[in-house]
Amino acid sequence: MDKKTTDQIHYLILKTHSLTGVIPVGAFLVLHFSINSLRTVGVWPYQISIDIINNLPFLIWIEAGFIIAPLMFHSLVGFYIYFSGRSNPFRYNYPHNWMYTLQRLSGAVVFAFLIYHLATTVVPKLWYGNTQFEAAPYLIYVMNQEFKSWDGRIIYAIGIVAATFHFSSGLWGFCISWGILIGRRAQTNAGYIFALFGLVLTVMGLSTVVEFSLHPVGVEATEPG
Amino acid sequence: MKGNIVNEKTVKLKIKRQDKPNSKIYWQEFKIPYKERLNVIACLQDIQRNPTTQLGESVNPVTWDCNCLEETCGSCTMLINGKVRQACTALIDSLEQPVILEPMSKFPVVRDLQVDRSRMFENLKKVKAWVEIDGTHDIGEGPIMSDKVRSQRYALSECMSCGCCLEACPQFSLTNNFLGAATFSQVRLFNLHPSGSMLKEERLDAVMGEGGITDCGNAQVCVEVCPKSIPLTESIADIGRQTTLQTLKNIFMK
Repeated sequence: MDKKTTDQIHYLILKTHSLTGVIPVGAFLVLHFSINSLRTVGVWPYQISIDIINNLPFLIWIEAGFIIAPLMFHSLVGFYIYFSGRSNPFRYNYPHNWMYTLQRLSGAVVFAFLIYHLATTVVPKLWYGNTQFEAAPYLIYVMNQEFKSWDGRIIYAIGIVAATFHFSSGLWGFCISWGILIGRRAQTNAGYIFALFGLVLTVMGLSTVVEFSLHPVGVEATEPG
Repeated sequence: MKGNIVNEKTVKLKIKRQDKPNSKIYWQEFKIPYKERLNVIACLQDIQRNPTTQLGESVNPVTWDCNCLEETCGSCTMLINGKVRQACTALIDSLEQPVILEPMSKFPVVRDLQVDRSRMFENLKKVKAWVEIDGTHDIGEGPIMSDKVRSQRYALSECMSCGCCLEACPQFSLTNNFLGAATFSQVRLFNLHPSGSMLKEERLDAVMGEGGITDCGNAQVCVEVCPKSIPLTESIADIGRQTTLQTLKNIFMK
């Protein structure tokens, strides 16, 4: 392969940023919210799904390669994009200009939230090592703690809303920048569909928070089915 | 004094001034007699005839650019009450007073309201926004264009390089090298031309780099402020599609 010019590298990095936002980062968000919302159906489906995930082969590689690395890449390039523009929604007060501003802000909010989220879940898990804990009881214990106070509930609600907004609005932007949605009407119609999609994700995420807050569960070791 | 009613209605203007590139910025206020159906250009001409500020101080006349006076050339583009538009179609009757005039902020100021927009021309050259017909021999007539394509191209061809889309764009700045909506739209215009499309790959290559199509943040302000109502966001999305397909071609077909 020829040596790439800085222009080609720039293009590839920004395209990859756009792509990683959908796959795998966005796809993981949907999966994450879907599995967590099983908690609203019952403790057992939630536990068993956690156990299945935690017993996947090569889990650490899946987590590192398909979640952490793309997420870090998307965040780093995201901050570069954040600082490359200067939003002006007060001067040019149009809906899409506000979406542009919110897209950048929500990205930064999600990033801050993820630091908190990882610090309270994954970091202790890695710290105490895989041998000393069972995934489901440990996670349920952590979540019970998180949702005991209004502080935790509000932090999670903000994180969830910022993430679902960033993803659904980002999907719309993705479809335009890759040339899937071209016509003005196509862009508007798809906008409504993505808004509905974002709303569904938000309800899924928030209902999990509500369930954990209203009905904290006693932590027990998982029984293999 | 009966029958000698003096019309005391006036127009107040507040103008951002700068004597030369990079020199100090200062503001001056002017008050001129009101007339019906005044536009901003007529006010500036009035000030030029009698360059005296509201405080009675005699000053240098205000400099600005204008030419066609019918929103076709784009040269009188400036910020009027904070928003970018042409001064010729900015009617005093529909503006809040004092009318605040500023030069565009995304182009280097030459003097007062006059800016240097040569970056737009340079960008058009970068993307080869022309149909190549010169050669060593007669290349004959071009292929026929369908009516649908012709009308599509007509809308895009109305761009007068006024710079409104760039001024209002949050991604376009004085210091970066973003090409901006106007340029992407011209890439689409010439790629749609049957003979112009011979340079399609070169044009796409020019927008697939730093400052290119990936730097669009999809704020869509460009289309809102465009005085010619050019479907700029459609052009951007279409160049998005063309570059995506070109990328696939570069990866899998070359």
